[in-house]
Amino acid sequence: MTTLTDRYVAEVLRGIPDRQRDDIARELRSSIADAVEVRVRTDEDAAKAEVEALAALGDPARLSAEYAGRPLHLIGPGLYLSYTRLLKTLLTTAVPLVFVGASAAGFAGSGTAGRVLWDAAGTALTVAMHVAFWVTLVFAAVQRMPSARDRRPGRWDPAMLPELPARRIDRASLIGGTSVATVLICLLVLVQLYGPVPVISPGLWESGWLYLAVVFAAVRIGFDLVGYYLGWGVPQAVANAVMGLAFAVLGVWVTAGGLLLNDAFLTAMGWPEGVVVWTVVIAVVLMALNDSVNGFVRALRRRTA
Amino acid sequence: MLACLLILRRPGYGYALLETLESCGFAVDANTLYPLLRRLEKQGLLTAEWNTDESRPRKYYVTSPDGVALADILSRDWDELNTAFTKLRDDA
Repeated sequence: MTTLTDRYVAEVLRGIPDRQRDDIARELRSSIADAVEVRVRTDEDAAKAEVEALAALGDPARLSAEYAGRPLHLIGPGLYLSYTRLLKTLLTTAVPLVFVGASAAGFAGSGTAGRVLWDAAGTALTVAMHVAFWVTLVFAAVQRMPSARDRRPGRWDPAMLPELPARRIDRASLIGGTSVATVLICLLVLVQLYGPVPVISPGLWESGWLYLAVVFAAVRIGFDLVGYYLGWGVPQAVANAVMGLAFAVLGVWVTAGGLLLNDAFLTAMGWPEGVVVWTVVIAVVLMALNDSVNGFVRALRRRTA
Repeated sequence: MLACLLILRRPGYGYALLETLESCGFAVDANTLYPLLRRLEKQGLLTAEWNTDESRPRKYYVTSPDGVALADILSRDWDELNTAFTKLRDDA
């Protein structure tokens, strides 16, 4: 055998377990020799015949994978849907929460608002990449383990179909929610900056904590968009509820501690402080509760009839 | 696969099988045929033995009894499919 065949066979044998190597090597060499012989008989140069025979066999890595039964894909069609569903669920629930959490932690420390938001975005991006990587790795490993791969998780069944969302209603609620959040934030900022008496206490405003409220509003809008475009399920509802809880807790703490409202504003309006504080607290709690319950209702409505 | 099982009722080896299949009109790649033969042997549908009589030792495959039984079943399926298609074509 000349060296070209030797190199080809060696390359094919690379991916093959030890006990089969001898047999495959012998068979492959004899097949290649047969192919060369046939070509030489029709008056071809031996070297050229060998090149052609090897070219007909194709990429040795591919041949090796076929012999060894290795899949030539990362995640196959059987597992793909489970993979995408899991990835979608994890990314739409965990990443927004991480963003809010990182922002809150950042605001608790020092640094300009822009810097804090930038860092929080970086953290959220890192978390997203980690989630994507590890989920993909696990699925790729399962694809290569016959025992785990062939265990059927459960047939799809028409009862699992989500309810057909009346598209109009969802779009209306998306637009409504987004515009309300945006308008409120704009109103707040405008009154704070240009109004006669600032509503929010100056200390809170300057420290940049209020940007956290902006972050919450942005994530709320984000969740609405997710619900509209990607689909809303129980995991998303849970994440939404967690965020609502965080918002409520922070809101109540800030308001009850007298940190939120500007004293000057209260005296200017002539409202008794206790009443106003309690009103705001109740409003915040109701808002958060309503939002969370809504999220669950939407999730469960889309599940089954 | 059915073609392989049918042809190998008489013992044959890799390259000769490739030529026979091509002459019968089945377009087949060497790099799919050889792993296929090996897989069929692993599943017990073919039995193999090395023949060292001639100048070059070759691995000969022959269809096992299990393989013959499977070939019968597949042939019957093929005939049923064929009659179904003919009926469709002649009806239209």
